[in-house]
Amino acid sequence: MAHKVFVEELRKIVGKGNVLDSDVNLQLYQYDAYLEERRPDAVVFVHSTEEVARVVKLCNVHGVPFVPRGGGTNLSGGTIPLKGGVVLEMIRMNRLLEVDTANLRARVQPGMFNLELGNSLAPLGYQYLPDPASQKAATLGGNVAENSGGPHCFKYGVTTNHVMGLTVVLPDGEIAEIGGMAPDTPGYDLTGVFVGSEGTFGICTEVVVRILRQAEGVKTMLAIYDSIERGSETVSAIVAAGMIPATLEMMDQLVIQAVEQSIHCGLPLDCATVLIIEVDGLKDDLEAQTEAIVNLCKTHGAREVRVAKDDAERALLWAGRRGAFGAVARLSPSYLVCDGTVPRTALPVVLKKVAEVGKKYDLKIPNVFHAGDGNLHPLILFDWRNAEQKERVMKAGMEILELCVQLGGTISGEHGVGLEKMDAMRLVHTEADIRSQLMVKRAFDPQDLANPGKIFPALQEVASVV
Amino acid sequence: MSCDVASLQRHLEEILGAEHVASDPGSTARFSVDGVVPALIVRPGTQDEVAQVVSACAAAGAALVPWGGGTGMGMGNPPEHLEVVVRLDRLDRIVEFDADNLCVTVEAGMPLGRLQEMVAGSQELLPLDPPDSDKVTLGGLVAANQSGPRRLLHGTARDWVLGMRLVLPNGERIRCGGRVIKNVSGYDMNKLFIRSFGTLGIITEVTVKLLPMPVATATVIGVFPELSGAVAVVEKVLASFLLPEAMDLLDQAALKLLPPALGLQASAGNFALAIGLAGSQETVDRQLRDLEALVSGGGGSPSTFREMDAKKVWAAITNVLEMAPPDPTRVVCKVAVPIGRIAGLMTSARVRAAEQDLAATMIAHAGSGVLRAALSPAPASPDGLSGTVSAVEALRKEAVALGGSLVIQEAPPGFKARVDAWGRPGSGFATMRRIKAEFDPRGLCSPGRFLSGI
Repeated sequence: MAHKVFVEELRKIVGKGNVLDSDVNLQLYQYDAYLEERRPDAVVFVHSTEEVARVVKLCNVHGVPFVPRGGGTNLSGGTIPLKGGVVLEMIRMNRLLEVDTANLRARVQPGMFNLELGNSLAPLGYQYLPDPASQKAATLGGNVAENSGGPHCFKYGVTTNHVMGLTVVLPDGEIAEIGGMAPDTPGYDLTGVFVGSEGTFGICTEVVVRILRQAEGVKTMLAIYDSIERGSETVSAIVAAGMIPATLEMMDQLVIQAVEQSIHCGLPLDCATVLIIEVDGLKDDLEAQTEAIVNLCKTHGAREVRVAKDDAERALLWAGRRGAFGAVARLSPSYLVCDGTVPRTALPVVLKKVAEVGKKYDLKIPNVFHAGDGNLHPLILFDWRNAEQKERVMKAGMEILELCVQLGGTISGEHGVGLEKMDAMRLVHTEADIRSQLMVKRAFDPQDLANPGKIFPALQEVASVV
Repeated sequence: MSCDVASLQRHLEEILGAEHVASDPGSTARFSVDGVVPALIVRPGTQDEVAQVVSACAAAGAALVPWGGGTGMGMGNPPEHLEVVVRLDRLDRIVEFDADNLCVTVEAGMPLGRLQEMVAGSQELLPLDPPDSDKVTLGGLVAANQSGPRRLLHGTARDWVLGMRLVLPNGERIRCGGRVIKNVSGYDMNKLFIRSFGTLGIITEVTVKLLPMPVATATVIGVFPELSGAVAVVEKVLASFLLPEAMDLLDQAALKLLPPALGLQASAGNFALAIGLAGSQETVDRQLRDLEALVSGGGGSPSTFREMDAKKVWAAITNVLEMAPPDPTRVVCKVAVPIGRIAGLMTSARVRAAEQDLAATMIAHAGSGVLRAALSPAPASPDGLSGTVSAVEALRKEAVALGGSLVIQEAPPGFKARVDAWGRPGSGFATMRRIKAEFDPRGLCSPGRFLSGI
């Protein structure tokens, strides 16, 4: 079908004003928070499950690729329409449909921002735990697609541990309700495989999440170190002492300096690293846990440990951490956010090696990361106008991922594979592993229309059987 | 489907050695699946041998069913056909225990009880606690998604499995996940294989994360004259800041099956609510105080058990249906509904059982929305089954209307001929069927055992 006619068909479904196809408008939808760009052929604002289903059905009938888009905060190119086609803008499907405290569940539309859900639940005394740093601008639908993490995931698990059911529009336009308010739905765990499928299995239009009572008490600490190694050793020491803090976050000197310039949260500019440690739960033992952690930090070389006295101090510490990616933008015109994971005890080693990679490629690499679950985010600084430098950045990024894998970790903890890491998939997967994942892709999307061209490297001609 | 069993047997003996291939009627009868007797029982000793066995079966067109501890074999529909049972009991080795990173990798045939003993040596534990924990294997636990009381706080297998190795129906070996907590390197294939009931391949290795052992444990059991009193306490606890690990509701029949040494039967009551606590001494003591007050205030009489006594209490509660005297006519079903509906469901189950003159024993994970009910026909009932069939169908209808499900966990073959083990599939089933067709196009892995013929 000719492009113009197709766009007219889209307008019939969603209304005239809800389809964009001018050059200027399309340009706004050709990028996300990764470094590549590709222009879609049309952008459609959708408002209901039925609209999504009709748009997807139309795409299916005409063999047109489609990509759902929420806040566009994806760091691996997940929302870039690599093969053109239709971008479904989900942002207007942003309502909280139901909060069912008796069943500890909420039903929410995918365009709602992660933080908005938290803010809606808080007055009721409940919370939704996964909290990506981008939570102000990242939508729940995007969180589902990427299986997002966040600081609180060390104790509470990632998105998949909190999503109990989905309404999805499958690539043939069928509306399916999978999982739901009740646990243990018979059959394959389609909800479980859909979470983290990066938009390649279809589009979720409703999310049933697990909500939890807010913790009775919270204590937040800031431990300041003159040595990054001692800081990362402390992380393992806390866990070895039998404690599971709600968060165990780390920032290095370059990040601290950038954060301090932009947010002024009182971080010392001359230290090597800080740990932000938070414990939560029943208030009865929080003092004792805090004291134990403060002591552990000190025996592991912290020069100072501050305990937030009140909510305002706590909020300031978190503003610093959550603003870290944004603040680092002050340091250079562009940066590549790496996202690798290692077993927690390998943190001191991997940090040392990341610094060596920086030296080798003559690049500055500040670090900010979820230390508790061994998820590091080296930020490789560069100038996008310098092509030669960009090439070095990509090589350094790949080398860091290789390091993570060598140390028993993996190539992505929470940002996804997207476009960025297709080539890195072979670092952790055999041909047979990749083929088995493609079988699931075919079962969901036989025509390969849902966010095509992502995640998987081209299969090698000769299949190797392990 | 026809299959040359004699030549398959020779082939399997070449792979495994004759001592690990059995075809005598005594052995095969012991490993029948819902009354379907396999021709061969094989016991591979390595993951690679499992792959070779699966390849050999695929080449011969032989259907296979994996068998771990056998604790979940009562689930599912009878296999459409079955030539080979693949026992995994020889795959019981530790691959790697990384205590510092709270993570352990074991072969799929490792019994859960042995894993717990081993990691307890480093003051760690896996907080999954299905019935028969001495017998249930890690592979079986994962494949059947078995769970227990502690799912209230700790969730189920999907929350603890970090990685797996499997043999696919075509004999290929794959790995999914890894050994780190956060992992989005490709699809989350662990989720696909958890609760896939052996229909997509054989799990040969499992990596799980662990928890540090809590300093203190305790349990409060309140005995109540009425269900409503116990349920009110459940609701109050769920709405409070308290963080119990487990909250199980037992009816009188279940209460009677608990060991007399616990001293609970003495108190006049029809329902018991057991609440499990773990954590620091301070938080356990505080919760004990709060819960004793809640139980007393709700008209119940509380008993408190600490440390080893608390462990014994939960061993008894978790296995309460498993410890009942053997009854070949018994049907055990697991009903899952939204959490707040569990009390109503328990009441209906009682009514349905009474209507059909059935003896019912019930235990619910009250904060998780899961009820297990054992139903036995009266000895004098005409065909021994009709009453149970009617009761289970009525209960299933009710669960489905609430957005939930009812699955059969144990039943005589005659019952399964009349009632599907899983119930009708919901939306998304076409995708499930395509997944099965992609992985097992010839239908040789546990054929017909799962949802709607998968």
